[in-house]
Amino acid sequence: MSDVAAPSMPPLLRRLRQGYFATPVDAVVSILCIAAIVAIVVPIVRWAVIDANFAGTTRADCTGEGACWVFIKARFGQFMYGFYPVDQRWRVNAAGLLLVATVCFSFWKAMPRRAIAVPALWALMLLVGAWLLAGGFGLPRVETRQWGGLMLTVFLSVYAGVLAVPLGILLALGRQSELPVIRLVATIFIEFWRGVPIITVIFLASLLLPLVMPAGWDIDRLVRALVGLAFVIAAYMAEAVRGGLQAIPKGQWEAAAAGGLGYWQTTGLIVLPQALRISMPAMTNEFIALVKNTSLVSIVSIFDLLGIAQASLADPAWVGLNKEAYAFAGTVYWIICFGLSRWSRHLEASRKTTH
Amino acid sequence: MTRYFYDKRVREIFWQAALLLGLVATVVVIVRNASQNMVNAGMASGFDFLWRTSGIDVPFVLTSYTPDSNILALLWVGVVNTLVISFVSVVAATLLGFVIGVARLSANRLLSGLAGAFIEFVRNIPLLFFVLFWYFGVIAALPGPRQSIGIFSIAYLNNRGLTIPVPTEGSAFRIAAAVVLVGLIAQAAIAFWAKRRRDATGQIFPVWASGLALLAALPALAFGIAATVSPWDVPALRGFNFRGGFVLVPEFVALFAALTTYTAGFIAEIVRGGIQSVVKGQWEAAYALGLRPNRALNLVVIPQALRVMIPPLTSQYLNVLKNSSFGAAIAFPELVSVFVGSALTNTGQAIEIIAITLAIYLAIGLAVSGFMNWYNAKTALVTR
Repeated sequence: MSDVAAPSMPPLLRRLRQGYFATPVDAVVSILCIAAIVAIVVPIVRWAVIDANFAGTTRADCTGEGACWVFIKARFGQFMYGFYPVDQRWRVNAAGLLLVATVCFSFWKAMPRRAIAVPALWALMLLVGAWLLAGGFGLPRVETRQWGGLMLTVFLSVYAGVLAVPLGILLALGRQSELPVIRLVATIFIEFWRGVPIITVIFLASLLLPLVMPAGWDIDRLVRALVGLAFVIAAYMAEAVRGGLQAIPKGQWEAAAAGGLGYWQTTGLIVLPQALRISMPAMTNEFIALVKNTSLVSIVSIFDLLGIAQASLADPAWVGLNKEAYAFAGTVYWIICFGLSRWSRHLEASRKTTH
Repeated sequence: MTRYFYDKRVREIFWQAALLLGLVATVVVIVRNASQNMVNAGMASGFDFLWRTSGIDVPFVLTSYTPDSNILALLWVGVVNTLVISFVSVVAATLLGFVIGVARLSANRLLSGLAGAFIEFVRNIPLLFFVLFWYFGVIAALPGPRQSIGIFSIAYLNNRGLTIPVPTEGSAFRIAAAVVLVGLIAQAAIAFWAKRRRDATGQIFPVWASGLALLAALPALAFGIAATVSPWDVPALRGFNFRGGFVLVPEFVALFAALTTYTAGFIAEIVRGGIQSVVKGQWEAAYALGLRPNRALNLVVIPQALRVMIPPLTSQYLNVLKNSSFGAAIAFPELVSVFVGSALTNTGQAIEIIAITLAIYLAIGLAVSGFMNWYNAKTALVTR
């Protein structure tokens, strides 16, 4: 059917005809698809752009038929920082810059002693970031119940994710261990956390953690949620790392043993560097799942981005703006997760190594 | 002494003993702290609370539960609702996911682009977003009962949920279900016999034709007859609301819609990956052996694609089971919502309630993955 188009047609038209209207079935499918795209895109564009209100400061300025972005503008600070004191918000920005700088440094291939420097850098980042956000040691304290919005989503994702990586690697090594007790303990730990819903884990952490601590110890409720999330993600990370470990041929272990290396030297110098490279895309996917699952902390009244968007709907001064709040929160999540997944695919494509 | 220090077996035993000892010590400390804290707070312990009257009103009950029943019956309501919402969502998501996954591979770039846009849309946004959006954004924005959206004048969708007709008398349906079961067994027997004969003689029996008759036409006929002979309770507008029929509460509709669309995006990617994993050479080899295209698809490509698809599909199905707990965010009475939510507030026995909940999820999960592992082993590549 490749020559159905007359040779006298312009090339573009011929391409269109061959690609979308080559057979009657193809033509019907194409027309239905175009109709579907028009039916989806036109109302969204009309609502979000053409009929929308952009200028103003109050509910009274929402006069158009479409979206009222005035609401998002008025609430933008809260969506980003939660109830963090306005004069202290520079600290959140500083912590964010620190995160970006740490990520950039991690990609500096020529860094001296990279295998030690990168983990050390991240550990330092976590400490300095926590100091900037929570305060103390010269900075005024900001209670965690004032944290919220996108800043809290990023905080939970980064801290739970970074804590989960070393724990996940240890668990994956434990599950692959030749020692039966260690293998059993690691397997039970992994399968337990992977087998239960994250909501129950968050309840578990926020209700039972205070109960099992010595009397008088009080754990911050944000830290409780963080610990719960980190455990679950560590179990999922462990499975991602295990995939990489299993891809390393046995000959690598044997060659290292023949070279006189012990277990930890073989693991640290030979196996893990290769396994982690293979596991990187899978680990990134787990991280994306974590970013999405941080939204569950709103169940225990911690207001992350989605939680604060949901809570903002209860404001009597801004009734009936559900769609705007959801559209904004959804778009921010989508940009973050889509960006991460593109990056993961890029990793997968660029780091294909063979044995 | 150093002889033992460097002995591999001694070291192995030492590290394992150290791990065990550490775990036991942690458990002892946790139990001691917990019992101390519970005594200080005057909290009760034990499982007696399960037989106490619950007094909790649940809006969506498929069992014989009433607020006068005990808490064990309340737990059962949660388990049943979790299983029901998970099952219907898994079925719908699988169908939708297969359609979208195949559309993603279409040569028509408009169609594959649309499918791709759907997949990238749902996969990169939290499920909680979709649950809240369907509940507060869509269902709450539907018209009231008097302006309901009618579906063939038998079911009505409005902001109080989806009202569907129900048969008032079920004996005809029980007979229909029995007929379907007989058809299923007959088809399994035919498939078994046909495979034996094909392996022995090479003759091919059209299993798909008997399957179509026994698994699609027969159930359709049986349920069609059952539906026409049974009396129906059809919803009708009386005053300000519908009388009769069965109301699927808005929470159910919202959770079902969110779980289905979200999971379909993941299943579509699994289907695409499965079909793409079958290399082109398999098609060509099948043609070279003289198989016609549909036979090549049935005998060569689909069995191999399924083998790749089953493990990730299993984990998606288990995810649906776990994700049904998102119903707690909109108070759909599933396990977490009625048990960790309502029952815990009423009794205060956090440890017991959370332990039971986790145990139930783990048990259902083990059962599902056990079944899927068995099925996977059955379809796995036999290497010689």
